[in-house]
Amino acid sequence: MSLDLAIFVISALVAVFGATMMIFQRNPVASVLYLILSLVGQAVLYVQLGAAFVGAVLIIVYSGAILVLFLFVIMMLNLRSSADLGEPSPPVSRFVKYFVSCLIFLELSFIIRESLGAGSTTSAGIVTMADDSFGSVESVATLLFTRYLYPFELTSVLLLSAIVGAVIIARRATEDELPPQPEKAVGPISQKTNEGQE
Amino acid sequence: MVPISAYLIVGVALFAIGTVGVLISRNLIVLLMSVELMLNSANLCLIAFSRSQNIMDGHAFVFLVLTIAAAEAAVGLAMVITLYRNRETINIDRFNLLKW
Amino acid sequence: MDFQLPPYDLKMMLPEIFLFLWALVVFTFDLLTNRKKETAIGYLTLVGILITGVLLAFTGYGRGFGNMFFNDPMARFFKIIFLGAAFMAVGSSFGILKQRIRNHRGEYFGLILLSTVGMMFLASSQELLSLYIGLELTTIPLFVLAAFYKDDKLSVEAGIKYFIVGAFSSALLLYGISFLYGMSGTTDIVQMKINLAITHLTFTNIGMTLVIAVVTMLAGIGYKLGLPPFHQWVPDVYEGSPTPVAAFLSIGSKAAGLVAFAKIFVNGLSAFHGPEMLPNDWGQLVALMAILAMVLGNTVAIWQTNIKRMLGYSSIAQAGYIMIGMVTMNVYGLSSVAFYMFAYMFANMGAFAIVTVFEDKTGSTQIASYRGLSKSAPGLSLTLAIFLLSLAGIPPLAGFLAKYYVFAAAVEKANSADSASWLYWLVGVGLITTVFSLYYYANIIKQMYFSREDSPYKIPVSAPAMMVIAICLIGVILFGVWPEPILQFAGDIPASFGFIAR
Repeated sequence: MSLDLAIFVISALVAVFGATMMIFQRNPVASVLYLILSLVGQAVLYVQLGAAFVGAVLIIVYSGAILVLFLFVIMMLNLRSSADLGEPSPPVSRFVKYFVSCLIFLELSFIIRESLGAGSTTSAGIVTMADDSFGSVESVATLLFTRYLYPFELTSVLLLSAIVGAVIIARRATEDELPPQPEKAVGPISQKTNEGQE
Repeated sequence: MVPISAYLIVGVALFAIGTVGVLISRNLIVLLMSVELMLNSANLCLIAFSRSQNIMDGHAFVFLVLTIAAAEAAVGLAMVITLYRNRETINIDRFNLLKW
Repeated sequence: MDFQLPPYDLKMMLPEIFLFLWALVVFTFDLLTNRKKETAIGYLTLVGILITGVLLAFTGYGRGFGNMFFNDPMARFFKIIFLGAAFMAVGSSFGILKQRIRNHRGEYFGLILLSTVGMMFLASSQELLSLYIGLELTTIPLFVLAAFYKDDKLSVEAGIKYFIVGAFSSALLLYGISFLYGMSGTTDIVQMKINLAITHLTFTNIGMTLVIAVVTMLAGIGYKLGLPPFHQWVPDVYEGSPTPVAAFLSIGSKAAGLVAFAKIFVNGLSAFHGPEMLPNDWGQLVALMAILAMVLGNTVAIWQTNIKRMLGYSSIAQAGYIMIGMVTMNVYGLSSVAFYMFAYMFANMGAFAIVTVFEDKTGSTQIASYRGLSKSAPGLSLTLAIFLLSLAGIPPLAGFLAKYYVFAAAVEKANSADSASWLYWLVGVGLITTVFSLYYYANIIKQMYFSREDSPYKIPVSAPAMMVIAICLIGVILFGVWPEPILQFAGDIPASFGFIAR
């Protein structure tokens, strides 16, 4: 068993394990942590596939920023009781869902193994050694700024709309935005207070 | 030598787990994370395909998809916050005002 | 390393760039001005959309950036539909400006414009990555817009339901796209077509892997279009979101889904079929979804009491009719899909505009509250009746011609090729369900005209809403009797977007 295969098996198992545990946790904080574990496993797979830069971006940006954002929101919402977290679904529907998903997985795996069997473009493994610059920052950057410049700029428009949208949806109405409150009653009540004080 | 199909099967596994997560989770945040998991499984498949043909397009694709996933997660979390403020729960069984 | 940019011509992108900058102007305008003149920002948005339309008319055909942005007749046609939908959605929002979105007017209009920009970029994309980004840019503002009434429980629930469905479907679509990329080695759709054809000749079992791609992409796009079994979100989201947003969704996101479907399936996967160009693999799957859509949409709509939910189910059914045209895969079919979208835009936006105006005055979207409207608001009820009849497909309105062309395209294809005789089933189901649909459209007309109660509501219609309703009315009637210019424009579409009918 070569080192390649060992690393692949271990990190694949870690990735799948983390993902599976993520969906079964009661506590959402634990789910986030398992997803981070799974992403670390996937990042190792990326690096093994030669995508050093994208693997690093996955850890730094995805686990380090986006999932931490999930953690912030979970902690802000302060969920604890089972009324918040939800009861597990009834056994029958759970069984059906698991069964369907196992079926999906088995079918898709079968299809992949069938089609990528002998004589296909991707079955032979990684026969060509990639040159050193494969997956490096320079090559990704070259692509992003020459051929994929237009999707790159389009993504910035998308980020703008996501920012505007997220801020609007999440903010509380400030004082001057609430509908006008009825004015406090001035009259006999306050006079009585004044008399009481004197 | 690890064949590419092995990576694709890992991708399929993650995709199926993500789908299970979307279907069975009662907690809205875990549901969002399952969708992120599905997007990541597609990323893994993209990187695997990119390596098998030795072209870098897949990497640029994944980079931009990560960005889009981040934007979508931000909007989704903002909506979860509003929903929680409005309804005091993120248990999706309770969201049944809009019915048949 | 070569740092050579591919050939580009930014003038082709001028309408989109302009509309994006105008969205920024709208955001800033709301920030800098005080709120005394409340409707100024709405008029500003309308002006922006009109100027973009004019710019679009003057932009020629050609490539905008490398292989990724092409302005061709299909792009221009659908951009007109998107701009029209945005114009009418903004025009009918003037009623809610004053009360329900007092605090976030600029963002409301800005997000509608940004979503339209995304749709326009989607229509011009010739490449999978920009297609995906365009689709995301279309739907992310729509998630926010659906939840825009933050205090209203229904609206927030609609927003979160739409978000879950939208995120799930975009993950599915991305997975399929990754397999397409893997099988063909490129993200450019035209190149992908060629590569897939070559690979198909050498490795005969590529079809199995493409099955994964096709199924997941169909699921993803089926969610966006609202085809069963992915239709659960449609009535809920239509009912919960603000009515102009529901109107914009119904046309914009549907047309965006159609464009994505056309580019990926009809163009991208077209070389993968046998010499006869019959979509026997995915075509039958889509036809099944279309049949379910027509049957389910039309039957469940019958017992709806809320007019927005009814329009939601009716839009599921209309998606079914449109997919009949898409599945026929001949020149006639694709042009008929484009014409259907165009006619549907007028009828649906008009109906939603009237529903909005009614809701602004009365606060109700129940069908029962429309009783007797013909006596207190005769013009409005007559117009609503015309829009509903066009949706049902009654001559001489535009909806009738739309359905006729779609069915005729399917029948012509079924006549010409023996293995496409299942298309007859589609047309049969379509005709029967059209008769069903007449029931629930006519029910509303009956409530308005033949009810014994009298409606106490006099509905004031603001000027922009009046303009929108008038445009839709003219469109529905005019293109019902004179469809030639639209048909000519739509006829250019299949040839231009690389569709090869063998």
